[in-house]
Amino acid sequence: METPVSTSASIESGIPVEIGKIDKELGKLWESSGDTKTRASLINLVVYTENEAGLAEDNEVLASVAGRHPCRAILILGTPSAPTSQASAWISAHCHLLGKDTRQICSEQITFRLDGDAANALPNIVFSHLDSDLPLCLWWKADFPEPLDEKLWAWVDRLIFDSSSWRNPHHQFSIIRHISSPGKSAAVLCDLNWTRLHAWRFALASQFDNASAFPHLSSVESLSLRCAPGFRISALLLLGWLAGRLKWRLDAENETFIAANDRVIPFHIDEIPGPNLSLISIKSPDARFELKLAVGSDFFESTIQTPGIPEIRQILPAPRGRLEDTLLAELSRAGRHTLYTESLEVILPLLTH
Amino acid sequence: MPTDILRSNPLREGLAQRSIPDPCTLVIFGATGDLTHRKLVPALYNLAADGALPPAISVVGFARRDKSDEVFRTELEEAAHKFSRQGINDDLWKNFASNICYHRSEFDKIEGYEALARRLDEMDSTRGTGGNRLFYLAAGPDQFEVILENLRKSGLNKARPGSWSRIIVEKPFGTDLPSAKRLNDLVENAFDESETFRIDHYLGKETAQNIIVLRFANALFEAMWNSRYIDHIQITASEPLGVEGRAGYYEKSGALRDMVQNHLLQLLCLTAMEPPAGLDADSIRDEKVKVLRSLRPLTGDDVFKHVVRAQYGAGSINGKRVAAYRDELNVNPGSVTETYVAMEINVDNWRWAGVPFFIRVGKRLPKAGTEIAVHFKSVPPVLFRATGESIDDNVLVIRIQPDEGISLRMSAKMPGSSLRIEPVKMDFHYGTSFGKATPEAYERLLLDAMSGDATLFARRDEVEQAWKFVDAIHEAWTTRTDDLALYSSGSWGPAEADELIKRHEGAWRRL
Repeated sequence: METPVSTSASIESGIPVEIGKIDKELGKLWESSGDTKTRASLINLVVYTENEAGLAEDNEVLASVAGRHPCRAILILGTPSAPTSQASAWISAHCHLLGKDTRQICSEQITFRLDGDAANALPNIVFSHLDSDLPLCLWWKADFPEPLDEKLWAWVDRLIFDSSSWRNPHHQFSIIRHISSPGKSAAVLCDLNWTRLHAWRFALASQFDNASAFPHLSSVESLSLRCAPGFRISALLLLGWLAGRLKWRLDAENETFIAANDRVIPFHIDEIPGPNLSLISIKSPDARFELKLAVGSDFFESTIQTPGIPEIRQILPAPRGRLEDTLLAELSRAGRHTLYTESLEVILPLLTH
Repeated sequence: MPTDILRSNPLREGLAQRSIPDPCTLVIFGATGDLTHRKLVPALYNLAADGALPPAISVVGFARRDKSDEVFRTELEEAAHKFSRQGINDDLWKNFASNICYHRSEFDKIEGYEALARRLDEMDSTRGTGGNRLFYLAAGPDQFEVILENLRKSGLNKARPGSWSRIIVEKPFGTDLPSAKRLNDLVENAFDESETFRIDHYLGKETAQNIIVLRFANALFEAMWNSRYIDHIQITASEPLGVEGRAGYYEKSGALRDMVQNHLLQLLCLTAMEPPAGLDADSIRDEKVKVLRSLRPLTGDDVFKHVVRAQYGAGSINGKRVAAYRDELNVNPGSVTETYVAMEINVDNWRWAGVPFFIRVGKRLPKAGTEIAVHFKSVPPVLFRATGESIDDNVLVIRIQPDEGISLRMSAKMPGSSLRIEPVKMDFHYGTSFGKATPEAYERLLLDAMSGDATLFARRDEVEQAWKFVDAIHEAWTTRTDDLALYSSGSWGPAEADELIKRHEGAWRRL
């Protein structure tokens, strides 16, 4: 396994550099490291945040991500409301020992602080410090601004965000829809809230891969979910996915789904302290499917009750709770999240409630 | 059909992971052996941890020793702790282990199989395994015949309607062509070819699978993958280990039958084959068989011109003195078993005319490594002749293990006012580029067998064609023994092997 090696710094303790000399200073950094360090990079990972208090955590996440997914990390703290305009930069490196080898695999990080009007220089800062020919993943850790800088979005290959942190999801999703509309940006939309649902979707799909369980999918009569307060949007996204896949329509007024044969499928979401999402139970007239996640557990408890077959209990991998694990899971994926927009469209009317 | 259900499960769409196989029971014959403990059970546990196993699965260990389910599970847990590529989670292990049980029986007693059949029926009804059975022959090859015969007699080879019954056969698939044919006949008596999965674990390795992607998903390489641009290809499998307690088996097999007949010829096939019509099992295996049929046979005197066999003498490995092969425990002091083979193989088809494939495999070599090195032809010696610079040829290296990856050697100008050309290496390491842990070969292969996907398994005609090629070499070796060279442990093999490749104006790569 990889062993982290601490050689690096944060915005407070990194090596301060002049913005115009960043490439030169990075070159010096690697020259001084000798043959034992190998610089590796698969992507440009740009993180934009306006939360100064969370910067230390952002640094930790980037260090952890770099160990598994080498990248050029560009962390940008924007404080557009600051009274004075100033741009500052720091460089640092995240190195990890590779197995028992003495070689270290290193990723470089450039950290910027853009105060006041300097925050408007964001596109230029990004464009001029990318590692060439590598994809650009932009992790936007703030509310999306309006109007959007079209030139910036046009460069983004993967746009990462976390809808579970939004105060006004309906408005933010409408911006997302605009960004992803034809002719705007080809960026892959990567909602970490959706990424966390991957394990849920995989586990649910696995339950219905079973030949004895599959027929009950067409006769679902009710759904109930349990989520932590503030994470209703996660539960809704999971419901949106199920509804989209099973061709159910939403009756937003009554908070029910309508199946193709006009069968009404009520759903219920309980908000109880615990994991973001802790339970989904699907009932059909004579079968029941349940996925349960206990606090702090890495595994779901899956239960399948179908007629004529003994109850099947199984333990399945659950989403890892740490932010870096979610981000790594997202970065390790290739291709588009083809069902994300479909699922989102289903539940959008519920987000205003 | 279950496969249709998986295809139509609308919840499956858009998920990165593959479909979950049908519920089933895996019966391991030889369950107390090394393979079960080191590879199979850790692989199954890792699959469970990844959520890749079916919701209902049972594992039955079938072996001769007397032990309870509980003792068997405890032994497997210890092994999983030791050999699993990821840590063991107690809850998950407990859940996984509750599906494991032990069935004691002699391999040659039909009653044991009849009792097994009853037990499997009961498990189907109590655990929902649906009558699907996967039998794994992990016992010694001398037991294969009796196990297959008893599976047939007890009717375990026949699945109920709507269910399936499959068999996984571990190598060696025979010891020569007649015994391989006999084994294949025995398997065929009990199982259809579509139900038979012959494991060559090299094919389960990510890098072996990546050969197909590298060749056919990159225009850069495939356009140059022929005799016009390639000078020769070297395939190496080296290990510092000696026979390590396997002398009984190794004395009878030797490096040729232990490694070349299966692993190395499989790698050669993947390197040399034409683009398949599709990625399905038979399309790929058809192309591999065509390569094996195109191998220029080595017989009689040709064997001694194109094949070098050798045996390790005393020497040192990692600074420690090690004994000669003939001084190893249970080895005949006058043994002529080869622990090293180097050979020149020609693939007589349009693509590879005039391009030799040099293969070498050996024990007690300085380091462990398996790789395929594609040596491209030299550029015309025109442009840089006047500078007196010698230019190294381009070499594309596919490292199968360890440190899986791909590197490309090319020439570059050294910085400075004079024209000096030096070789530089572009290197891609799986470990560096993909943070994701590489699954063990057995994980992939077990899952494929449960899913009925035979792409990474050897087909009957492949195995027999490979034996045909290897048998001819072995037959020539039986006529004399004076060609057996010796090499010091810790060296890269005998001088004769260097001479073999030197005739082509080449040299073995330094790993």
